[in-house]
Amino acid sequence: MCFRCCELNRRSLLIGGGAAAASLATGVAQARIRPADMHPLIGPGFRPTDRDEIGLWQQMDRVEEEVAGSNLLIKDPELIRYLQQRIGEVGGPAAKDMRIYLARIPDFNAVMFPSGFSVIFSGLLLRMRNEAQLSGVIAHESGHFLRRHMIRMWRDMRRKSDIFAIGAMVAGVAGAGAGVNTGDITQLAQLGTILSLFRYNRVMEAEADAMGVRLLAENGYPPIEMANTWEQLIGEQDASARHRRKRRDRGYSLFSTHPAPGARMADLKVSAAEATVPGRAYDNRRGRYLQAISPIRKTLLDDQVKLNDPGASQYLIETLARDGWNGLLRFYEAEVWRLRNRSGDDVRAAQGYAIAVAYADAPPEAWRWHGLSLMKAGRQAEARAALSRYLSMQPNAADAPFIRQMIS
Amino acid sequence: MTRTPKLILAAAALALSGCSSLGAGEGLGSSYYSLVRVRSVQVGDGSLAVTSPRPWNRTRKLFLFDDVRWVEDWTLNGPLLDGMSFVTGLPSGKYLIRQRRTEDRQVPKFRSDMSAPEIVAMLESLYRVRGGSVDFRTTSLQPRRFLGVNGFQFDFEHLDTDELWRRGRAVGAVIDGELYLILFDAARSHYYGAAIGDFEAIVSSARKRR
Repeated sequence: MCFRCCELNRRSLLIGGGAAAASLATGVAQARIRPADMHPLIGPGFRPTDRDEIGLWQQMDRVEEEVAGSNLLIKDPELIRYLQQRIGEVGGPAAKDMRIYLARIPDFNAVMFPSGFSVIFSGLLLRMRNEAQLSGVIAHESGHFLRRHMIRMWRDMRRKSDIFAIGAMVAGVAGAGAGVNTGDITQLAQLGTILSLFRYNRVMEAEADAMGVRLLAENGYPPIEMANTWEQLIGEQDASARHRRKRRDRGYSLFSTHPAPGARMADLKVSAAEATVPGRAYDNRRGRYLQAISPIRKTLLDDQVKLNDPGASQYLIETLARDGWNGLLRFYEAEVWRLRNRSGDDVRAAQGYAIAVAYADAPPEAWRWHGLSLMKAGRQAEARAALSRYLSMQPNAADAPFIRQMIS
Repeated sequence: MTRTPKLILAAAALALSGCSSLGAGEGLGSSYYSLVRVRSVQVGDGSLAVTSPRPWNRTRKLFLFDDVRWVEDWTLNGPLLDGMSFVTGLPSGKYLIRQRRTEDRQVPKFRSDMSAPEIVAMLESLYRVRGGSVDFRTTSLQPRRFLGVNGFQFDFEHLDTDELWRRGRAVGAVIDGELYLILFDAARSHYYGAAIGDFEAIVSSARKRR
């Protein structure tokens, strides 16, 4: 298989994209961009008039068609409506023109495409602690659209004759347009060629940040939440890397193009303070957020924890638990330990399940694993009771035949 | 980046690693597969013998790449469409696949005291971590005799990042602390139904050799 060529390709792409970005930023100690200076460059109902941009949009329409038909999308109508409302709120003048899609991919990512549609990864919804954080990411992505970053980047690449980047992008877009392996949003958005288009340079990222802070504050969200999101992401990556005994890799993430995450977080904090109007009430609307994602929160946790990235998963769960522990979070905390599977983790997990089932909202699976751990520990009677509880909560469980045999 | 014991996983893993979006799966040399004839053959490390009702293709192992000696992969129509994997006496503390210690996301190691639900969870993580499955559903877990002992049968479905739904069945048992397992996984439409009969015949033909 071409595992090697993949690596090379990816690296070249990153270098290709990075080169364009670096050349713009060379030697310039970049000053923070002030939210107050960020004005949208497009108005409502924007349509491209220049030939190159019209062409780009046509290709993007094909990509959107593919994305919209992908079976990786989470289609829950209420949730999608909720996300669409967020973009309608913080999308500035283009609020009514932008579309949003939710892909079931357990990573922290969101992508804005040049024609104004955005793909949000489900892993992002898991990581947001409140609506302000979600709206912050959406506002950042909207910022790219409102500041016309895609076409600016595209023209910049062409001016510099960055053949590789253009070639890769055209191949990606053409491939997507031709329906070859197109539904693979992970590939398109995360590693693949199309993303090279969105490797905005530092200035553009700073602009989108500033624009985002402004949009957030204007809509009554505490703008500091954008910096908090950043802090959580850095914390998660550090925790993951520490667990595997290595240094943080800044690849793949939403904000990866920026070389100095610490500096960027600092800028966001200053911008947030600047955009905050004294005396005005700001609300992170956490309750509404939790309610909106409640139908899929368990799935989101499940998708993350089963990837067995213990450092990241534990950090995430603890971050979410800062707003209060519950049976679901306790159960998944124990799951992290069970899958981590180091010596002593079985005992730790067993204790975790025991704690989880003490919560009234413990999911049926908590009783299942509580029972299985008890059985392993030789506490048969208690194990039977826990597994029976599981079966009574979920009589039609897929594994019911096996569990019934275990307790018979 | 290492591959999986299950080459069917290669479908999505290939995509995940950002390979060319065109022609994925092409370019395999002819020596990549060898013919499995319709007679008793040894699989994995040789401790299991099976007889297939029709010829299959054995995937050659790449040295230092996916050469877990207890695991062997077959396919009928190519790894994107169907595949069968044999796990022949995986010892405690070993992995189903080769993976670097520093990978963020890891397939858990097998332990001899694992119950069937734990083995099933290990397989699920294999698909999610290495196969790029974004949705994975256990459709059934039930007791089943295998190699003369009490084992389990695990049925599942998964949606991978190449947008294809796949369906699989595994039959396994832990014998003397080692994992024996035969796993079939194929595209849900057509290919699963077309070869599940082969899987059942192979499972009932399976004999432990020592």
